[in-house]
Amino acid sequence: MTNLLSWVVLGAALLPGAALAQSGHDHRGHAQSRELPAPPPVFPTWMDDRGADHMFYKPGPYNWSIRNVPQFAADMYGTGVGHGIAYEALVTGQADKLEGPIYDSIVKVLKNPPRLPIDEGAILPTFKRRYGELEKVFDWAHTLHFQTIDVLAHRGWTDAQKEAEIERIWQFYSAQPYAITGLPLNMEVLDGYSYSGAFRTKYPKVNGLFWGYHWLQTANYDMLYRTPVETHGPQYQVVGERYRETELFNTEREFMPMTGELSPRFAKRFPEIANSFDNLHMLHDNVNDILATNELTEVQKKQQIRIAIWRVLATTHQGETAGEGEANSLHDHRYPFGMPGMGWMKGATESEMYMSGMGWMNMEECGHCSIRLPSGDEWGATVSANGWTMMVRCMLCARDMASETIGKAIIRAATEDPKQTLVLISDELGNWTSNLPEIVFLEVKADHPECNDWSKVFTSRRAFDAYIAENPDYKDAQPIALSEWQTRNEGTPETYRRINRPSPYQRNGEVGP
Amino acid sequence: MTATRLAAGLGILGTLTLGLATDHNNVDAGRPLRFDDASSIAFGERAIEWGVTGNLGRGRNNSAVGALEFKYGFAKNQDLGIAWHPQYAGANQRFSAGELEFTHFRQIQREINSSPALAYRMKIGVPMERGESGVELGMRGILSTTLRQYDKIHFNLDATLVTEPEPGERDLAWGLLVGYSNPLGAPTQFDKTLVAQFGFEQSRRAGEGWFSTVGVGLRQQVAEQAVFDFGLEADLWSGSSSRRRGVLLTLGYSMGF
Repeated sequence: MTNLLSWVVLGAALLPGAALAQSGHDHRGHAQSRELPAPPPVFPTWMDDRGADHMFYKPGPYNWSIRNVPQFAADMYGTGVGHGIAYEALVTGQADKLEGPIYDSIVKVLKNPPRLPIDEGAILPTFKRRYGELEKVFDWAHTLHFQTIDVLAHRGWTDAQKEAEIERIWQFYSAQPYAITGLPLNMEVLDGYSYSGAFRTKYPKVNGLFWGYHWLQTANYDMLYRTPVETHGPQYQVVGERYRETELFNTEREFMPMTGELSPRFAKRFPEIANSFDNLHMLHDNVNDILATNELTEVQKKQQIRIAIWRVLATTHQGETAGEGEANSLHDHRYPFGMPGMGWMKGATESEMYMSGMGWMNMEECGHCSIRLPSGDEWGATVSANGWTMMVRCMLCARDMASETIGKAIIRAATEDPKQTLVLISDELGNWTSNLPEIVFLEVKADHPECNDWSKVFTSRRAFDAYIAENPDYKDAQPIALSEWQTRNEGTPETYRRINRPSPYQRNGEVGP
Repeated sequence: MTATRLAAGLGILGTLTLGLATDHNNVDAGRPLRFDDASSIAFGERAIEWGVTGNLGRGRNNSAVGALEFKYGFAKNQDLGIAWHPQYAGANQRFSAGELEFTHFRQIQREINSSPALAYRMKIGVPMERGESGVELGMRGILSTTLRQYDKIHFNLDATLVTEPEPGERDLAWGLLVGYSNPLGAPTQFDKTLVAQFGFEQSRRAGEGWFSTVGVGLRQQVAEQAVFDFGLEADLWSGSSSRRRGVLLTLGYSMGF
């Protein structure tokens, strides 16, 4: 936090005018003079190693537990195929077919995903021969993705055991030279090179698929993190439906999905892992743009991909610290208040960042009542709906925020028992089902700054009574059953503060959301 | 080296080293044909593989060689293996403890642009039967290169040295295997690989010439880290009147962990 306070001072000096001037961007947020990145004095020696350097994952009883949710596993395996087909097309002279027949063939796979994981090297042999060092980075980061998912999906371990193992997996991952840094990187800087945006401009449909994969690969973590394994399947019915029917085909997203945006709880708990995923996905975007741009020769593309790899490696940022670094540079490791698992976003301030589909948000505040979020065991709840996930302070905020959206939703909420997370899933009509059969709610409407005191959920009537006994202010409150609770709606709180700023990705003449 | 005679007769020892095959597209000797591709198992990977090769249609002369191997990727691009090959001779209804085999595989280079992948495999075969002595030393050079987009061709050059040859046995034998692999089912179910092989090998018997073999097989991924394989191999022609083999059938299963 001390580091962050220093950024408040620095930020005040830099923003808005100073920062814009330093980054070389005009008032619309577009690059005025974007140059090709220069190579480092020396590339890491491993990048010239001639072996395949295949690495095996960390042994453990949890490996392949993703199979516990078969459709999720298949969709995840499909993302690898989708990546591979597109990359292979880009390097085999089929780029002109990418938005047509190749897009169609990828979608066919995604709709009929493989039941077993597919070796990416078999799908993109030409790409792998040309960019072997990149494949090492991708493979190793994808291993981190799968192993963290496997641990969270594993049956028979406590949450504490899972979290300890995830820490060990991070160390295991970080010990290799191909590891991507866990520091937050400035996403505007990494997406601000002369070639940036080339892929999404030329191939918007395939770019939509890529960002759809990355949506699934980041949205799943809050589905799995500290939620009972028996809820993973039902939750994935909602998440998977959203992925397959909407997110894959979303070409309106302004920026790639971020882990902290879609799995805020996981990103807060494991900021380094969340950052490494975002940095990996930005590497994907950089590589896509380099391959898609017309301004580079094949030799330059090879060089620029090596530079893009180098930029995100942990070794490149060795000795640096989250929250510090030179603003608007490669070594800018600022993050928004309350979200160390997210790099600096375009147009962001210390307290506000722009979320695609949601507009400007404060990551420290409740998405519904704009009051500062609680911390610790009573962390409040998250609401997942319409492709986003927001943190809220209380059950009322969760319910009413979910009710503002059309379609299915998931609420994950703290109960009085830190070991029991409530998972509520609603259908399109707002009928909620609970993983905990005996839950009761407290809801005594009062001021929102205390809403996490008067709007709560309990695993049983006994727990409710115990809370009332400890809090005589609510002695007249009656326990509310789920069937009644779900019919209530208090609307938008008076404390809600909408941040009215234009999208930083808005082009001149366009209207932001 | 009497214990190795049956296996050598079947043509599955000398060039047989059981590799891990936890990905259908990673082709290893013995699973199910005798050629290797130029890829090691992953660093840190452990693998167990078992299988059997027998000749078909020979009645009481049926023979079979089993295989059980443990492998470990002890370093990047390198693995060590220990394998046991028990044998059964139908002609005299005799089981043999066969041979214990120690292997070291090393990839020298992956495929880079148009340069092929290169690797070698060394092995030491030790007889398990009482009264047998000497060891069999094998060295294989491997070159793998892409043919079109997905399919590959693999050249395996073998030299096998027997330290204590029996009378009439050649102490050094050469062989060349040309393998072909083509993963099938792209892009929806990339879960099997067709393999084929042409072999041109020197007879182990002194004074006899060369023979050639042809084989075909399939490697089917059956779980995340498990592959089932089967293959058929037969002589194409033989310069040896004493070499009488039927069609060899190989079945196997590999799993990594």
